[in-house]
Amino acid sequence: MPDRRGFLKAAALAAGGGYLAAGTARAEERPGARGDQYAMLNDCTRCVGCRACQTACKRSHDLEKSGADPLHETPTDLNARNLTLIELYKESDTKWSFVKKQCMHCGDASCVSVCIAAAFRKREDGVVDYDPGKCIGCRYCQYACPFNVPTFEYERAAPVIRKCDFCKDIRLAKGEQPWCADVCPVGAIKFGKRSALLREAHARIDGEPNRYASYVYGEKELGGTSVLYLAPKEMGFEKFGFPAYDEATPFHLQEDIQHGIFKYWAPPVALYAGLALIAYSSGRRPHAPADDSKEGA
Amino acid sequence: MNVKTVPMNRKLWTPWFTFGVCVIAAGLLVTLFRLIRGLGAVTNLSDGFPWGIWIAFDVVAGIALAAGGFTTAALVYVFNRGKYSPLVRPAVLTAMLGYLIATFSITMDVGRWWQVYNPALPANWQGNSPLFEVSLCVMTYSTILVLEFLPGVLEKWQQTGFLKSAAAKVSPILNRVLFFLIILGVVVSTLHQSSLGSVALVAAYRIHPLWWSPWLPLMFLVSAIAVGFPVVIVESWISARAFKHRVDVGLLSDLAKITPWILGFYILLKAYALMSAGKVGLLFGSWWGVVWIVENLLFAVIPFVMLLRPAVRGSLKGLLTASIMMIVGIVLNRLDTYILTYTPRPGFNYFPSVGELIITGMMVSLLFVGYKVLANTFPVLPSAVPAQGGK
Repeated sequence: MPDRRGFLKAAALAAGGGYLAAGTARAEERPGARGDQYAMLNDCTRCVGCRACQTACKRSHDLEKSGADPLHETPTDLNARNLTLIELYKESDTKWSFVKKQCMHCGDASCVSVCIAAAFRKREDGVVDYDPGKCIGCRYCQYACPFNVPTFEYERAAPVIRKCDFCKDIRLAKGEQPWCADVCPVGAIKFGKRSALLREAHARIDGEPNRYASYVYGEKELGGTSVLYLAPKEMGFEKFGFPAYDEATPFHLQEDIQHGIFKYWAPPVALYAGLALIAYSSGRRPHAPADDSKEGA
Repeated sequence: MNVKTVPMNRKLWTPWFTFGVCVIAAGLLVTLFRLIRGLGAVTNLSDGFPWGIWIAFDVVAGIALAAGGFTTAALVYVFNRGKYSPLVRPAVLTAMLGYLIATFSITMDVGRWWQVYNPALPANWQGNSPLFEVSLCVMTYSTILVLEFLPGVLEKWQQTGFLKSAAAKVSPILNRVLFFLIILGVVVSTLHQSSLGSVALVAAYRIHPLWWSPWLPLMFLVSAIAVGFPVVIVESWISARAFKHRVDVGLLSDLAKITPWILGFYILLKAYALMSAGKVGLLFGSWWGVVWIVENLLFAVIPFVMLLRPAVRGSLKGLLTASIMMIVGIVLNRLDTYILTYTPRPGFNYFPSVGELIITGMMVSLLFVGYKVLANTFPVLPSAVPAQGGK
C-alpha cells in the first residue's frame, strides 16, 4: 500500500533531513576558549601536594567537612563538598606526580551545550557559570562532561550542582585571583589571561625541556579549556585522567542535528503538511475520534 | 469505521488490581521519603552514574513503548484505515498513561523538581539541547494525548452528572480541532522519539561503540515506530483478559502485517551503521557482542521473520510471542544504551536500589491500574467484542 510507505518515507525524511542539513551546514561558529579570557595554569611539576588550595577552596565556599574525622578529611574524588582536589599519581617510588583536579572551564563546554534550561553559560570573562535558579537538577551535565567535573548534592532535599566557579563572586568580582592560586606556596597554580598563560607554559617547557612533558594540556582539547596543565616529562596526561581528546567535542553532532531538524522550522512543518496531505487524499474525509463514536451511537 | 465504545463496568478489586494498588501505595511512601530526604537517601545514583532506571526504563523505554498511541492514531486518522478504529481509544489511553507516568518519573528524578517547568520558560530556552526538545515535546504531547482521550470522557459526561451542559458545549469545539492536534501529536512524537537517541550522542566516550552511533536518533525513532503496533497487540490481549472479552485476532493480524516493513528498515539501518563505522569485528570476542546479537535477534530479526509468515500472524499465540519479544528487545536496547554499556566515572558503579525498584514498580502498576479504572469508567473499549457486552 502506497500510504504505508508514504508514512515511513515521511518519518524517514524528517530524521534524514536533519542529518542532511547537519552535514552541509555547521550551524554556528564555535570560537572555543579565547586568549583574553581568564585561565589557570596548573604546573604539576611544582605542586608539592600540600593541599592548601583544597583547604582554601573549602573554607571560602563554606563546604561541609565530612568523614569520621572531619579535621583530617582526605577526599578521594571531586564531589559536592570538594570542588578542587589534589590527586597523587604514583608509578614507582621515584616516579610520581600530584595533579590538581577542578572544572576545566572549557571554551566549548559540554555542560553549556546540553543543559536543558540554560543554567550553564560561558561568561565573557571565561568562567563557566552555573545558575541554580534555572537548574532543574536533571544531571545531563554530569552525563555529558568529558572531564567528570559537575557534582550533585545527592544527600540534600534541595540540591544544586557544585563545581569550581573560579571564585567569581568572592574574588574575581573584587579584582582578585581565586583563592587556590592565591594560597599556593610554590607557585604551582597561576591565574591570569589565557594567552599570557599559554605563552608562559610554552616558555617553561622550552626553558626546561628535561623537566616538562612537551605538551600543554587544554590548549587544543575539545576546543581549548581555560584550565591548562603542565606535566612532568615521561608522565603522560592520560594517567592523570586527561584523555587525548580531539579538538571537536561530541556534542557538536547532536547540536548540528538539533539545528538541522529545526532549520527554519522547515522539517517539522513539512512533515505536518505532508501528513495532512496524506490524510486528506487517502480518505474521503478526515474523521476525528469523537465523530466515529457518535455516528456509531 | 464506526465503533460503539462502552464503559466496561466490571468488578474493580480483583487480586491483581489490589496488588497493583498496594505497590502504588508503597511507591508513594518511597516518593515521599525521596522528596523529604533527597535522591541519595532512596537511590543508588551518584556523581559517576547520574542516570539510573528511572530515566532509562521509566522514561526512555516507557516513551518508546508509548509509541502505540501515535502510530495507531496515524494509521487511522492520517492513512484513514478506518477498520482499525476500535484500537485507537485503548491505544491512546495506554499512551496517555505512559506519558503521564513518564512525566511523573522525570519530576521525581530531577533534583530540583519544584522548578521542573523551567525549560519551558522562554528565558531559559536552549535550542542546542536535545533534552530541552524532549521536555517541550513531552509536555506538548502529554497534553495532546489528554485531549485525544477527552472525547470519550465527554461522551460519558454528556449523559450524566453535573458537567452535562459544559461537556455538551466543549465537545463540538474539541471535535473540530482534534484532527489538527492528532497530526501535531504525530509530528511531535517523531521529533522527541528521535531526540531521545540524540540525548545519548554526547556520551560518545562513555557508551559502548556497538550501541553508540551517529544514527542513534533515527534508530530510536524507527524502533519506536516498529514497537507501536506490537504494544497495541499485547495491550489488546491483556485488556481482553482483564475484562473477559474476545480478542479480534483478525484485526490484530492485519495490523501485524505492517510491522515487518518497519523492522526490515531497522535491520538495514543497524547493519549499515555497524558496517559503515567498521564495527562488525566488535560483535566477536566480548560479551557485549553477545548482548548486542541477543538484543537484535529479540527485537528485530526473529519478529521480522515470524511476522512475515501468515501462519504466525494468524494465531494469537504467534502474534503475542513476536510482540512480547519486541517489547523485551526494545527495553533491553534502551537499557543497553543508557545504563548497561555506560562507562561511569572511575570508581563508580550502579545497580538500582530497592527504593528505585519500588518506584519503578509503582510506575508500571499505575499503567495497569489506571487503564482498568479509566476503561471501566469511560467508553474506551468497543462493545461489539465482549462475549456478553457491557452491563
